[in-house]
Amino acid sequence: MKLRRSMLFLPGANAAMLSTAFVYKPDSIMFDLEDAVSLREKDSARILVFNALQLPVYREIETVVRINPLNTPFGLPDLEAAVRAGVDVVRLPKTDGAEDVELLEREVERIERACGREVGSTRLMAAIESASGVINALAIAKASPRLIGIALAGFDYVMDMQTERGDGTELFYARCAVLHAARAAKIDAFDVVWSDLNDEAGFLKEVDLIKRLGFNGKSLINPRQIELLHNAYAPTEEEVEYAGRVVAAAAEGERKGLGVVSLNGKMIDGPVIDHARRVLQRAEASGTRK
Amino acid sequence: MTDELDFYAVDPATSARERRDIRALLGRCGLDYEEHIQVFVVCRDAGRLVACAGLESNIVKCCAIDPDLRGGSLSLTLLSEVVHLAYERGHSHLFLYTRPENVSFFQGCGFYALAEVPGYVTLMENTPVGIRSYCDRLRALRPQGLRADARIGGIVINANPFTLGHQYLVRLAAAQCDWLHLFVVSEDVSFVSYRDRFALVEEGVRGIERLSLHHGSQYMVSRATFPDYFFKEKGVVGDCCTAIDLLLFRNHIAPALGITHRFVGTEPFCETTRKYNADMKFWLQGAGSTAPAVTVIEEARTRSGGTPISASEVRRLLRSRDLDRIRALVPAPTFELLREKYLSKILPFAPDPLGHGGEPDAPARRAVAAGI
Amino acid sequence: MKIVKEALAGTLESSDLLVKVSPGSGTGLEVVVSSEVMQQFGHQIDHVVRDTLARLGVTAGLVVVEDKGALDCAIRARVQTAVMRGAEAQTIDWSALS
Repeated sequence: MKLRRSMLFLPGANAAMLSTAFVYKPDSIMFDLEDAVSLREKDSARILVFNALQLPVYREIETVVRINPLNTPFGLPDLEAAVRAGVDVVRLPKTDGAEDVELLEREVERIERACGREVGSTRLMAAIESASGVINALAIAKASPRLIGIALAGFDYVMDMQTERGDGTELFYARCAVLHAARAAKIDAFDVVWSDLNDEAGFLKEVDLIKRLGFNGKSLINPRQIELLHNAYAPTEEEVEYAGRVVAAAAEGERKGLGVVSLNGKMIDGPVIDHARRVLQRAEASGTRK
Repeated sequence: MTDELDFYAVDPATSARERRDIRALLGRCGLDYEEHIQVFVVCRDAGRLVACAGLESNIVKCCAIDPDLRGGSLSLTLLSEVVHLAYERGHSHLFLYTRPENVSFFQGCGFYALAEVPGYVTLMENTPVGIRSYCDRLRALRPQGLRADARIGGIVINANPFTLGHQYLVRLAAAQCDWLHLFVVSEDVSFVSYRDRFALVEEGVRGIERLSLHHGSQYMVSRATFPDYFFKEKGVVGDCCTAIDLLLFRNHIAPALGITHRFVGTEPFCETTRKYNADMKFWLQGAGSTAPAVTVIEEARTRSGGTPISASEVRRLLRSRDLDRIRALVPAPTFELLREKYLSKILPFAPDPLGHGGEPDAPARRAVAAGI
Repeated sequence: MKIVKEALAGTLESSDLLVKVSPGSGTGLEVVVSSEVMQQFGHQIDHVVRDTLARLGVTAGLVVVEDKGALDCAIRARVQTAVMRGAEAQTIDWSALS
């Protein structure tokens, strides 16, 4: 169970950010070759990310590369660079249907074979940015065993829906659809970026919402948001205490070879135990909520 | 993480709003707006214009950063952007003028000092090997077997067009020297194209012994070496605009070829040229440089029918289509070329094309007007 | 690779570098490095630049590096990009880059 609360976006052409971003310790770092890179620097960003991924520090953190769509001239060269450099996850933008993921998977496998990388070791995630993508979310989420998650990208989506970002009402259906698809496919779900860096209260309110909905985490554009997000996802002391007892009871049940686990006379089943384990994992990563 | 500042390129001719904001920023920084800049890189911070840098061909001009935002990394990003923009536009060899106190900043941006008028201005280029490899190439062209105390002459002419006056000056100088280096200004902004000017000079000096004919360069009477835009105090402009060009000649070009004397014709009509000749004596012979002095020899112009011959007079006659009088002032090949190719370029009622070349260019025009 | 035109890569921002390549006037390879940390790291930067050029098979041209304290991986990336641009390379041989 990999913890993926925070995914920090880095513009792929920026040498300084690529050289220092690991110090912020997000759960995943995403090197962006798509929207954050101007047309002039598509080639240089690709080569810079390829080299940065070889840094030993990036072996200790989950790395993601957002490539350009495969129907642009940049998509395939981006994919070559990412897979050959040993990236953990390739993020595909503008995923409208399962066939986009299937095409990506075929290309990834071809490159893995060509460069001698273990076939299947490159994981994928798909970003959904359109009405079609939301409608096809389940098919997308189940399109490849390589998928670790799907993400909603708000900016393009609201454009496609002929609306604009507001209090979250405009994203409500899409969030729920993406989340359900991810859960049905047993993969992670990631929420949109919060772009107003000065509105911390707004950010925290949105984080509270998506956490309650059930998202694993969020894409971030500012390292300042990492700690805020991790703290919001951190459990309370009571939650940790209860989860500890659940997990201990489960272990006890397992030790005794019991088919049924009970705590204080009540039966606890699988999903409750899984939830308790996630609570403890978050507490271990960031302590209890402050 | 994001780059929060927004950089983009602007054609000042097409956007009144950008032009107005650039002008305001330059004003806050004590700089004049330059009309000849073809493109600016600008930086906006939340909509507010906070930095700009312009390009006039390969010359970086009007670099300004809002006083509130100085001291950070903005200046380095600005310079990166303008250098990229210049490359995109086909200019990789860049020049810029700055006040001497800013030289160290631009050195940190990949620029190297070429010549300085202390207290006023420094010319820089964006390569560590530019002037050095140019001088290496010149050095390789030194004639062999000259005595150590040989008298080696240098002449720089624009030859727009080549006249009997130029021919006379070259012959006179060659007769006084052990060797003569003749340069043709290569900046292509004159009425007669560089290709034609060079060909006419080549033809016109054929047979003169102990003479090397050279193509001009960016380092000699070019847009880059005449910075008459730089200072607000217009009085300074006149002094500095020739100084950089002359210091480059004295400090780099003359030593590379061992030039000891520079020859120049007097210009009886033109105040600018008298000034230029006086400047030449000051900067080539005076104490403004530690490089060996280059002696300036002014030769009176040859005359035709009592009037001194000058290229500007030839252009004036061409404008009035007075071919008969031109014939007496220029060698035959120049005359043929003017009649066959350039006469037709003078349109009745059109603005005077003669002083101008292709694109508008004040500094080079000024140099050309000076008759060099 | 053969550098056939002038090209540029990188920036002057902190932790980055600007690399300029050109075909050069002579026959050999000339590398000029200038850095904010020239005294401590000048030799190492020069080594990384030359090593990167050698892996790309660049044997002629002028390479000018203006370093702003970049990591080796950024130095390699900018040199590689400038060479690709200067060689007008349409495809990338990734094995020469790692």
